[in-house]
Amino acid sequence: MSLLTLDNVTIRFGGLTAVDTVNLEVKQGEILALIGPNGAGKSTVFNLITSIYQPTEGKISLDGKALTGIPTHKIADMGITRTFQTIRLFPELSVLDNVKIGAHCRGKAGLFHAFTRLPSMKQEEAEMEENAIKALEFLDLAAKREDMAKNLSYGEQRRLEIARALVSKPKILLLDEPAAGMNPQEKVVLMEMIRRIRDTGITIFLVEHDMKLVMGISERIAVLDYGKLIAKGTPLEVRSNKAVIEAYLGSGEFKSRIRR
Amino acid sequence: MKKLLDNWLVQFLLFLCVLGLTAFITDAIGDVLPPYLLMIGLFIGINLIMALGLNLITGVTGQLSLGHAAFMSIGAYASAIATVNYHVPFLGGVLIGGLVACLFGIVIGFPTLRLTGDYLAIATLGFAEIVRVQFTNMKITNGAIGFLGIQGSTTFPIVMTIAVITLVLMVWLENSRNGRAMLAIREDEIASSAVGINTTLYKIQAFAIGAFCAGVGGALFAHTTTFIQPTDFGFMKSVDILSIVVLGGLGSIPGTIIGAIVLTAAPEILRPLANYRMMVYGVLLVIIMIFRPYGLLGGVNLRQAVRRAFMLTKKKQAGREE
Ligand SMILES: Nc1ncnc2c1ncn2[C@@H]1O[C@H](COP(=O)(O)OP(=O)(O)OP(=O)(O)O)[C@@H](O)[C@H]1O
Ligand SMILES: [Mg+2]
Repeated sequence: MSLLTLDNVTIRFGGLTAVDTVNLEVKQGEILALIGPNGAGKSTVFNLITSIYQPTEGKISLDGKALTGIPTHKIADMGITRTFQTIRLFPELSVLDNVKIGAHCRGKAGLFHAFTRLPSMKQEEAEMEENAIKALEFLDLAAKREDMAKNLSYGEQRRLEIARALVSKPKILLLDEPAAGMNPQEKVVLMEMIRRIRDTGITIFLVEHDMKLVMGISERIAVLDYGKLIAKGTPLEVRSNKAVIEAYLGSGEFKSRIRR
Repeated sequence: MKKLLDNWLVQFLLFLCVLGLTAFITDAIGDVLPPYLLMIGLFIGINLIMALGLNLITGVTGQLSLGHAAFMSIGAYASAIATVNYHVPFLGGVLIGGLVACLFGIVIGFPTLRLTGDYLAIATLGFAEIVRVQFTNMKITNGAIGFLGIQGSTTFPIVMTIAVITLVLMVWLENSRNGRAMLAIREDEIASSAVGINTTLYKIQAFAIGAFCAGVGGALFAHTTTFIQPTDFGFMKSVDILSIVVLGGLGSIPGTIIGAIVLTAAPEILRPLANYRMMVYGVLLVIIMIFRPYGLLGGVNLRQAVRRAFMLTKKKQAGREE
């Protein structure tokens, strides 16, 4: 069953067509990877899904509900959260606060509650804190909860971003190069974590350059090149796809290519 | 004991006790302190109320505003008109001052808060100038001559009680869902909207509350000096309030308190230096910013420090028990 659907999605920046008539379905409960050379338009696809950009043409929908035209801040509440290729935490806030803010869309308290601190607000706060700590435990960060986010190591920061995206219990989690900058051990741990997140019922859509990770955890892979989707299929199918090899793989090896 | 303190009613009564105590103590202090020192104390309180408002806008939400004095003037004139022309009681006038300033904060917030950084700073600066010129040309404000005959109703206990209320509400706000959203906006706007924060809404909330504080401060100011004119609320006034927030440490409530005390008292303490006063004051500011570039208490999170210390002792205890 398709959870997230991209229907003929195109976006142009001036003369550049960054994403070109892409048709893609993300199925409920799967781990789908989007790969492609640098500048292929992968992050742009995520920015389109989260309404940071609006498609020039085409439609995006979640569970049959159109996402096009909906402001970014309503996307999280609909069940889509994400991480960023360049880490975007709240650096001067504590790890715990970072994750609590991630649960913003699940809270209801407003100014009135802030100023009166009625029991209902206290309860919401307590629940929020409990969920935040659970998310931190899930990503093995609970011991660091009082640290400032900017003082975490690079790998920890990447995991914190995932915890922040996870705490609102999204339907689908978008991960933009989650392994970038991690060492091999951290990558192994990350793979395991991504699998465990999926096992809680959250669909995973990730962009990643690390082929070992991509081949290791994805059930399906989509390949983007110059904004066009050139292949879709299981890791095995994609690995042996002619167009992919021609456009992207070089001599059987996955190589990054800088777009001219 | 801890359970009892968690009870809402107990907390509310405690809050009232603190307010009563503040009023009582400040009243007693007012009886013994010489009027000159009392006046300084009163201005510390007024500046604190306004600076706490600006701290929410600039320190917590990260929106640089150079027009805080405009909201102060709106509060000052609105309350003065209310009490003098319409015989509204003093505290009612203060409330009106705050509300009118708040209204302007919201109205101005909608178009300007799309801007960020320097552009927002310039827009707020422009707004403040427009307000000032407007007050200079209006009949009801008596133009450039100034508004005379306001009752000197502001007292030290009233100012301090309002300051304590503001202080407590600000601490509560910062530790709420709304406050965290505002902090998030300061840290990263794109990440904020990705987690579902309506950045415009929370910026306007911060602006409205900040403007309300400035308006209340302005109203208290008007009813202290009994005479106000547009030049009281020029660009330099905005800079004065901003200096308190920056010197104390952007986003730090204890810092804002220290900033308000130091920067209100300093020019008075330096008064014997006569003509060199403002120069020394400026040098002092520069020196503080060299040694504490993030402000006196910038980067010091008291609550976190306490929590951390608490966790450490707990760990140690656990270690001993093993
Ligand atoms: N806001 C924008 N304005 C103009 N061009 C843009 C914009 N955003 C992206 N692009 C362009 O769109 C193309 C695709 O960029 P995108 O960041 O999606 O690539 P990517 O596949 O994520 O690459 P990488 O692997 O390097 O992260 C690039 O040529 C980029 O310069
Ligand atoms: Mg990218």
